[in-house]
Amino acid sequence: MRIFWILLKKELHSFFVSPVAYVVLALVMVLNGFAFRAALSVLENAPSEGSIVSWTFHAMWFWLSYFFIFPLLTMRLFAEEKKMGTLETLFTAPVRAWQVVGSKYLAAVIVYCVLWLPSLINFKFAHWISAGQVELPSGAMGGAYLILVVMGMFNLAIGCFASSLTSNQIVAAIISFTLSLLHFLLGIFIMVVGRKISDTIVDIVNYFAATEHIRIFTAGLIDSRPIFYYLSMALLFLSFTHHVVEFRRWRP
Amino acid sequence: MIDVQELTKQYAGRTAVNNISFQVEPGEIVGFLGPNGAGKSTTMRILSGYMPATSGRANVAGFDVFHQSIQVRQSVGYMPEMAPLYTDMRVKEYLRFRAELKGLSGMAMRRRIGEVMELTGVTDMRKRLIGNLSKGYRQRVALADALVHKPKLLILDEPTNGLDPVQIRHVRDLLRSLKSKHTVLLSTHILHEVEQTCDRVIMIHQGRIRANDTPANLTRQLRSTTLLHLEIDGIGNLVERLSAIAAVRKTTEDPLLVHPWRRFTLRVEPDHDIRDEVMELAMQQKWRIREMHRQLPTLEDVFVELSMNAGTPTDIPTHVL
Repeated sequence: MRIFWILLKKELHSFFVSPVAYVVLALVMVLNGFAFRAALSVLENAPSEGSIVSWTFHAMWFWLSYFFIFPLLTMRLFAEEKKMGTLETLFTAPVRAWQVVGSKYLAAVIVYCVLWLPSLINFKFAHWISAGQVELPSGAMGGAYLILVVMGMFNLAIGCFASSLTSNQIVAAIISFTLSLLHFLLGIFIMVVGRKISDTIVDIVNYFAATEHIRIFTAGLIDSRPIFYYLSMALLFLSFTHHVVEFRRWRP
Repeated sequence: MIDVQELTKQYAGRTAVNNISFQVEPGEIVGFLGPNGAGKSTTMRILSGYMPATSGRANVAGFDVFHQSIQVRQSVGYMPEMAPLYTDMRVKEYLRFRAELKGLSGMAMRRRIGEVMELTGVTDMRKRLIGNLSKGYRQRVALADALVHKPKLLILDEPTNGLDPVQIRHVRDLLRSLKSKHTVLLSTHILHEVEQTCDRVIMIHQGRIRANDTPANLTRQLRSTTLLHLEIDGIGNLVERLSAIAAVRKTTEDPLLVHPWRRFTLRVEPDHDIRDEVMELAMQQKWRIREMHRQLPTLEDVFVELSMNAGTPTDIPTHVL
């Protein structure tokens, strides 16, 4: 466990000494600002069912940031070390593969969580400046941030896996972007095809669809199934990553 | 300290290390010598626990490299080729990170980091970003990292690669001073270095061990062949004519400088001096000679010889010698 913390510290360090974390943070803040602004204008025009929280996370801007975050945060993790050859130095120190994979992943998750902190300020500020007229239902807030974190954990695990496959960061970014996009498109598929197909299929696809999860959770409905789904998928991809990293140690 | 038995490593369809066996005793400095792609790095990676062998067995400090990998890595200080480092860290910060990973902590760690920085001469660079260091300093930082946990065995893959002569001498002195505390296995393709530093040389070529002896013994063994360098201006099949001299083992024509001069290297049987015979032949054939130079063998020649005996002299890039 001690080794794990040392590695985690080092990973966080390399996130914050490189410009990556700050660039992504800036990008997310800008896009979030737009999303927040879009949500405000919806509420401004007409009385609405949804809270400001749910409108913010339904904005196109939010989804735009959603796609850039994961490849940018994870592409470095293994690809850079492979390219620089430092993976060899790392694995000839007495460390185990799970410690390396786990620490890199957890560092990415921590940075990811930090990215969403400024959006909290947006909400609090709107609530304060409107003297409480902009409501912040605790269910919606809790649900939104909970699903954001577990969705992030899932996508970051995909990114980790993508990065372990190659020594080229761009390739890693493209793989993780594609996988995340395919997952997102499940929801869009339902929106496009709509009611033309049987309800069973719609239900099944909705079970996997990120857009649907966001819709439910930002409405304040906390459903354990998506949480379980994302966390188990994250674990699956992390175990893939572990296998890829350990592959060199396999014996025929 | 090291016990390797019938070790083989195959990469997809290619055999990098072919059934090698050797031992290294505690306190020895052993040089791994061979051209690029001979299997030196592969063997060292297996010994340092980075990757497993396809077959065979290797024990380091009493631990099996595959089954007790963590213990092996605990007792080995490994410096990979090209000295890969995290370029976004500062020297001291990096050494601290590595020392912590290898189980050091507190005052003992701080003292040890100071020691190895002093030993390798990077104390003045401790606050510099590794990315901004020159190749020589990076190499030293990597060496400091290998030393930091006082490993029983040091495995250094081309430790002097890319250093200038002064730095090379520094590293050589350092290695010799470490001898009392560590066993050292180092690889190189520079023969001079092995002659200077090592107690024993293991020559490896195309994944097989070609020789395993002290540098002095190897040179003595091959005292046999002397070399004769010639520059001749003559017409006809000179190689054939020269080879016809009794004691000549092999004649090679080197690519030449300026027409009409041609350059030859003759490998001559032990204890024969054929300079007179060459001279006579030249006079008889009306060749002009502008250089004749006899060269006693160095370890380098031993190496070429051994590689040639392997049957494929052409695939050894000349620049490695």
